[in-house]
Amino acid sequence: MTDASDGTLFAQVRDSANRADPYPLYARLRVRPVARQDDGTFVASGYAAIRALLHDPRVSSEDLPPAEHPPTGNPVKDWIVNPLKDWVTDRHRPFIFRDPPDHGLLRRQVMGQFTIARVQGMKRRTEGLVAQCLERCAGSRHFDLVDDLAYPLPVTVICELLGVPREDEPRFHAWATQLATALEPESRHDEALRARNTETFDAIADYMRDLIREKRRAPRDDMLSGLATAKDPQAGRMSDPDLIATAILLLIAGHETTVNLITNGMLTLLRRPRELARLRADPERAPRVIEELLRYEPPVHFRTRVARAPIPVAGTVIPEGAPLVLLFAAGNRDPARFPDPDRFDPDRADNQHFGFGGALHYCVGAPLARIEAEAALTALAARLSNPRLAEDPPPYRPGASLRGPKRLLLHIDGIG
Amino acid sequence: MRVVVDLNRCQAYAQCCYAAPERFVLQGDEILVYDPAPPASDRAAIDRAVQACPVRAIRVEHDALAERAA
Ligand code: HEM
Ligand code: SF4
Repeated sequence: MTDASDGTLFAQVRDSANRADPYPLYARLRVRPVARQDDGTFVASGYAAIRALLHDPRVSSEDLPPAEHPPTGNPVKDWIVNPLKDWVTDRHRPFIFRDPPDHGLLRRQVMGQFTIARVQGMKRRTEGLVAQCLERCAGSRHFDLVDDLAYPLPVTVICELLGVPREDEPRFHAWATQLATALEPESRHDEALRARNTETFDAIADYMRDLIREKRRAPRDDMLSGLATAKDPQAGRMSDPDLIATAILLLIAGHETTVNLITNGMLTLLRRPRELARLRADPERAPRVIEELLRYEPPVHFRTRVARAPIPVAGTVIPEGAPLVLLFAAGNRDPARFPDPDRFDPDRADNQHFGFGGALHYCVGAPLARIEAEAALTALAARLSNPRLAEDPPPYRPGASLRGPKRLLLHIDGIG
Repeated sequence: MRVVVDLNRCQAYAQCCYAAPERFVLQGDEILVYDPAPPASDRAAIDRAVQACPVRAIRVEHDALAERAA
């Protein structure tokens, strides 16, 4: 079967007109599980193909071209992370953009600080933060789930885990909001936006450098102190540039993603009042509901890679050097893998979704994200009285990859 | 309750260890050790581990009789 507009399907996915419901486009893309687009990009949308590529060592996450600009002499600019690529250097990319062996060394050091005790310790705290947000809205008849709860929550959580002093946290909320715009491919073409993002990176990097110095001087029980003082048997102590890159990565990677899981989650449940009622009656359903959300309405729709060698897959060959899109959200709805894939069914068996990616780069923050989503969704289900969507579909933020509502206005009778 | 992890399938993602730290532990970086017979009172935590495992390697068999007695 061929589709005349095959080669532009991914451009259509990125068009904001299709943001509210990209799934019909994904179904058309899946006709060719790995499809070449007119611009030379290859888009993998079939479950089996995505899975194979995720595990293929010829597929690289270092998909940023080498820095175009020579060193500036400004130590901050020359080594901080910059997803905009202008002056990112090969050595100081955050590990999400790195391949083995460096990727593994850095990731292991981060995992070593993401201890079970720390993550579990955030559970109570997160529940408390959710309750505070709800208290603040008590008495009102409207509720914007994005502004009033989902947006602030992950920033507070990651700041506390990292060990950012509480009085500095408001700055992180502002930075996180600004940097989220840097993650979308479109942002590269907007000069003014790039300039603002560059300034923001400079500001965070400066801040982090000072904070790391402080943590080395007087370490506490937090992730940043751990990262700044621990010595890996193989990699030794993490360098300042890597530390800063890592801290910024943790801040960004866990922000909009978590926001989207909470808001897409509530949107999905409000469209299915029976599922919302079931969660309310039985909070222990939350883990199933959340895994199904990660399949059905995932916060991260795709990630990019590059082919380091010719790769035969799904009846085609991806040529060396070709940019590659792993369209997780399409694989999650592949009827060859999931029976009745367009049905939201928390009781689905064998739900091996791509919500957190897979293989080497599987989400580091998954346990934390699950805790935050569970705290938010169970509290919302339990405490919002007669919640209704004020607009459906809601307005979406521009991002096609980190896809989620810009606001999610609810009418409520009260907060219990 | 009986828990079986298909260790051929398990990729040491450690998601179960965060969900039910008392019952699942990674030794070194890649060997999963777990409690094959956790008490019925751990049902919710074990279910969290089952749901969180990215490769669905954990299977639970409920012993209905013992659970009713408990
Ligand atoms: C619902 C929330 C979240 C979702 C859906 C999500 C999703 C993902 C996905 C799909 C990847 C794979 C990227 C790739 O393959 O290129 C990833 C990686 C990553 N995530 Fe998350 N994430 C979430 C929350 C978090 C949180 C809370 C943190 C940190 C506190 C975090 C930190 C990371 C990091 C550091 C990586 C890079 C891992 C690596 O490259 O080895 N994420 N995430
Ligand atoms: S979550 Fe699954 S893959 Fe990971 S260690 Fe546990 S059983 Fe193994």
